[in-house]
Amino acid sequence: MSEMLTVSRQDIMDGRYERVLDWFRSRSMWMLYYCTGCGAIELPPTMTSRFDMERFGIGPMATPRQADILLITGYISVKTLKRVVRTYDQMPEPKWVVGFGSCPINGGIYWNSYATINHLEKYIPIDLSIAGCMPRPQAVLSGLTRLMEQVKKGEAVGYKKYKMNYDWYKKNQDEVLYRTEPVLGGSHEAE
Amino acid sequence: MKRNEIMEKIKAGFPGADAEPRFSNQIHAAVPAAQITGFITYLKQMDFKHLVNITCVDWIEENQFEVVYNVWSYEHHIHITVKSVIDRTKPELQSISSLWPAAQVYEQEIHEMFGVVFLGNPDLGPLFLHNWLDLPPLRKDFNAEEYSGAAYGFVETDTAEATCIVPMEEN
Repeated sequence: MSEMLTVSRQDIMDGRYERVLDWFRSRSMWMLYYCTGCGAIELPPTMTSRFDMERFGIGPMATPRQADILLITGYISVKTLKRVVRTYDQMPEPKWVVGFGSCPINGGIYWNSYATINHLEKYIPIDLSIAGCMPRPQAVLSGLTRLMEQVKKGEAVGYKKYKMNYDWYKKNQDEVLYRTEPVLGGSHEAE
Repeated sequence: MKRNEIMEKIKAGFPGADAEPRFSNQIHAAVPAAQITGFITYLKQMDFKHLVNITCVDWIEENQFEVVYNVWSYEHHIHITVKSVIDRTKPELQSISSLWPAAQVYEQEIHEMFGVVFLGNPDLGPLFLHNWLDLPPLRKDFNAEEYSGAAYGFVETDTAEATCIVPMEEN
């Protein structure tokens, strides 16, 4: 009988088995949906028997603390952004963000709205965007299987980028969330 | 009461108000701003017990705000739209939040979106907007596109010139 391979906790923490771990990670992903906009309606058919997301090993998760993927399904208002950032910060690593539809990419049809942000990637790192307004379940599954491949190859490194450039992301978040002066200069005399 | 009787009662009680029939079961009434609370109270006493909504229109060329109240009567099956015009430079109006508690939040929203001050409303604090410091956003002199670009980043409409906005070297 050949000798068993022993892996210590330190080996894993040192990242010596990342390729093996990535292989496992890509086959068991729990997804948290942040259903902000209309895109949420495409998820029930994606999850249930017609398209059956679970055959790819992707399942729904109720809390950010146990989720691997954060799926943002629509426009993000400033108030929502605060919650999205908090949700993302709560998720344990490794974690991935999927932007669903046009709105997280460039604001979509809300590109000139005073209430919604235009580029989600300025505030949290996005590993993969599924373009379309709105993408059909086939496109969602295509995007998610692409994400699985990226995770397997170790290419989906948004969370590392977030840590390395945290100052840049934090500056962008604070600029929007904790504004101290009017954007256009005009002041509003609130009672 | 039929619609004609209601309109006669309106004209009898408020000669300054202008009431006209609209469609088959509606009345359109324009009331001076100073009489708005009394007028709405008068309607409520005539069994117009359902406040449907309150909204506001910005007529920037006339330098006016028009505050619109919609009330409905389950007794008479009549819908009344009450409009009251106020000066845009000094937008103040009496609150009707003592008549319907639900009116409070409508007035709070109009204050946030248009800057109309409702005298007597207990809470005109921020409602929907997050940390808003600019002009009220639904005013016609508020440039939403310019605001969106300055606050959240301009959107490239020409894909050939679109550039990545995230620092790439750390990939």
